[in-house]
Amino acid sequence: MILRTPAPKRARPIEPAPIIESPPVGSDHRQLAIYEDPSSAGPARREPSQQSEHMLCTYQCRQMVKADFLDALSNAEKQVQDYQSKLAELNDNFGKADEERKTFREKLSYVEQELAAAKGREQALHDQLLKEVNDSHERLKKELELSAKLQAKLENEQNLRKKAESTAAAAEDKAKELEAKLGHISKSIEKEKKRFNNELAQLNRDSKFSITKITVDLEKMEFRAKSSEQEVELLRKQQEDLQSKFSECLHQKSELEKRLTSLSFEDDSPKESDILVKHLQEELRNYESEVREARKLKSAHDSIELMKEKLLEEKSRRERVELQLPKLQEYELKINKLEDELSAWKLMIQDIPGVSCCDDVPLRISALQKEVIDNLKKLGEVNAHLKQMQVVLDKTQLDKQKTETEAALAKEKADRLEAEVKRMNLMLSAVSEERNMLKIAIEDFKSKNEQAGGHASSSALQVLKFHSSSFIFLLTLFLLFVIYYLAPFLMITYDFLLVHIQELESSLLKREPYIKELEGDLFAQKDINTRQQDEIKSLHDRLNSEARKVKSLERESDRLRSEIFLLESKLGHGDFSAANTKVLRMVNTLAVGNDAKQTIEALQSELQRTKEKLQALEEYKSQSGNSGKLVDSYMSGKVAQLKEQIATLEKREERYKTVFADRISVFRRACCELFGYKIVMDERQRPNGIPVTRFTLQSIYAMNDDEKLEFEYESGNTNIVENGYTSTSEISQQVDIFVRKMNSIPAFTANLTVESFNRRTLS
Amino acid sequence: MASKTAAKDIITLRGSAAIVSEFFGYAANSILYNRAVYPEESFARVKKYGLPMLLTKDEGVKSFISNLNAQLSGNILLVPQVPELSSVEWLEAGKLQRVVLVIMSMNTGEVLERWNFSIETDNEVVEKGVSREKSDKEIMREIQAIMRQIASSITYLPCLDEQCVFDVLAYTDTDVAVPFTWMESSDAKLIANPQMVKLHSFDTKIHKVNTLVSYKNDEEESDDEE
Repeated sequence: MILRTPAPKRARPIEPAPIIESPPVGSDHRQLAIYEDPSSAGPARREPSQQSEHMLCTYQCRQMVKADFLDALSNAEKQVQDYQSKLAELNDNFGKADEERKTFREKLSYVEQELAAAKGREQALHDQLLKEVNDSHERLKKELELSAKLQAKLENEQNLRKKAESTAAAAEDKAKELEAKLGHISKSIEKEKKRFNNELAQLNRDSKFSITKITVDLEKMEFRAKSSEQEVELLRKQQEDLQSKFSECLHQKSELEKRLTSLSFEDDSPKESDILVKHLQEELRNYESEVREARKLKSAHDSIELMKEKLLEEKSRRERVELQLPKLQEYELKINKLEDELSAWKLMIQDIPGVSCCDDVPLRISALQKEVIDNLKKLGEVNAHLKQMQVVLDKTQLDKQKTETEAALAKEKADRLEAEVKRMNLMLSAVSEERNMLKIAIEDFKSKNEQAGGHASSSALQVLKFHSSSFIFLLTLFLLFVIYYLAPFLMITYDFLLVHIQELESSLLKREPYIKELEGDLFAQKDINTRQQDEIKSLHDRLNSEARKVKSLERESDRLRSEIFLLESKLGHGDFSAANTKVLRMVNTLAVGNDAKQTIEALQSELQRTKEKLQALEEYKSQSGNSGKLVDSYMSGKVAQLKEQIATLEKREERYKTVFADRISVFRRACCELFGYKIVMDERQRPNGIPVTRFTLQSIYAMNDDEKLEFEYESGNTNIVENGYTSTSEISQQVDIFVRKMNSIPAFTANLTVESFNRRTLS
Repeated sequence: MASKTAAKDIITLRGSAAIVSEFFGYAANSILYNRAVYPEESFARVKKYGLPMLLTKDEGVKSFISNLNAQLSGNILLVPQVPELSSVEWLEAGKLQRVVLVIMSMNTGEVLERWNFSIETDNEVVEKGVSREKSDKEIMREIQAIMRQIASSITYLPCLDEQCVFDVLAYTDTDVAVPFTWMESSDAKLIANPQMVKLHSFDTKIHKVNTLVSYKNDEEESDDEE
């Protein structure tokens, strides 16, 4: 070390000096002290006093500095060499990295190309897939539509079939019922027709016969009536004669009594009494015979009256026959109607194809049923085909769904790949930017390294190292990603898509003939269905018409049943048709015989009594002489008793009559005051001989005498008779309400009394 | 005549007519007895149709009914004392439509009851002369039921308090000749507003006989009396 006394320091002007960082102690780097050459410095700086000292110092310093500088230079040169070597290494490394980068870039580009190609292929595949999917989708849609239509058609056909079956069953039932009814009705119609024809013929014959017979009978009856009237006159004359005879007999009887009394006085021989008795007996016999004749006359008279009644009945029968004649015409009209209906039925049967008579209808129905069954079988087969198609459709739908999901997945993957590719692109761009930056940095470093040495290159190298390591890492990641994700996906999706497309094509090819068959079957079934529908419509129309006819026939049958019921009731009552039937009566001698027997018995009993009386008379006469007196007194007493009895009976009868008249008048007055009506009873007889009681009621509140109600009472039934008073609007309304609807005459009369009372009191 | 075979009996037209006319005879007797038209002591008990039947001993009634049977069926065996008969018997000719037994009041002549036997004839048998088959026992059973009903009719028919007489009417076809013991009557002896009771019927497969009784409504009489 050079020791020197340092010169006193002068205040130097502060001058900017380049500062250089001194290297740390222990390192090769040394600090460089910058020496300013005073010579180089301006003359202003120098001071003339210090120049000599300074010159010494500077030399030493210069030497020192030079030594230091040389050391520092040598160190720096060493460092530069190191740096240069390091640079060279770095350059080598950079070159290697560059080459690697280039290779990676090539690989990247290759991969990018492959990616683009794969993308293009994928896009193409995707497009194809989409197309196929769309095609299959459209086909599926079409097939679905077809299947839906077929299903709808099936359902319609099934419904139609069901309807047809139900209508066919209903038609069968109705046809059977109609057949049965037809048969019954045709039989009944034939029977009725025959019956009507027979009745007609018989009616015609009978009418003619009855008319001639009635005229003949009328003439006979008139003749008989005349003869009977003559007989009646004769009988009356005879009766008068008999009465006169009877009176003579009575006279004779009185004379006999007188004689008997005279006999009692004269006391004649018993022979005269015997003669008298014999006379009496003979007269009694005569009387008996006369009584018989009288009775015969009476019966003849009764028979005449019966004949008159028969005349009236036959007149009524004639009227009835005349009334029934229009019914004949009605029956003829009915027969014509029935014949028309029969012909209409036959025409209807002829209109039905394949049917020639009623018996063919069930055969035709059975043939139709067989056709329906065959069609049902075909429908079943078609249903089975359709179900198979549905299954296939479902399968294709599932496949479609699968492909769609796979396509969606592929899309997602493609999207993901795209995103990854984008990311990779971004990464690549980032990497390329880094590379560029690195290049720039390296160039800067190189330039700087040339300028200042290798001091600053270490940091740049470190930065370069960091960037290159990160770049390499990113590249490896990218490559791994590409390799891991894209390649298998691409291969798998491609294979899968190929297989699936092939399957779809094969299934579509397989299904085409089925679809063609189905279409053909559909067309055929359409035709059949249209035909069946037409047939069903026509059958339906016929069914409706038949139903209407059935209803009309039912109505007619109800009417006929009611008529039959009426006829049966009439039969039960005993009515008969004079055209078909005549009533014969056996000559009944039993009643007459009974009457005769009874009269004979009565007469015999009377005879016995008179005989007993006569015997008693004779005994009395034989026993004593005063028997005549006793007989006379007995006879007179008896006669007096009988006369008294007759008188009492007559008085009693008169008394009963007066009492009855009084009671009746009281009853009538009470009825009038209690119910407000004066009642007049009148017995009448109808033209057919039936007795009828007519009651005429007049209200006590009536305004005039025309306000009278008339009722007819016949065998328990009371009917109102229309007259001028009841035909007025007010009264006819009340009659309709009370009598006809409510069937209550007391209500009607009560209402009428109240109304007439109100009218009276108000007026 | 009915001849017996193993299961069913063959019925001819004549046999059926005989069965029907016999039925009328016994039915008429039963009605006359049950309705007390004739006194009980004038009837004798016999066995017929498996039942104790009563036949009148009154000669007049007997001859009347036998004349009726003769006309209906022409069964001469039943009426030996009747020499004359019409040539054609109504049942065999199929001309008879109804037989009516009428019960009337003796005093007033009013018709009180009508026993109506209506007959339906199988015209095929009459025209072609074929025969039918039916068990004799079954026919008898059916007739027995009718006879039981006639006997039980007194439970619902009104009492006949007055003396009554009976008459028989035959409803025939109009072309039937009137025998001399019969006369045509225009009066069918109807009852106004009658009550009707339908009884059983019997069928020989050739003739079907329906029985119906119509009688005067007893309520009308009670109303009249009141």
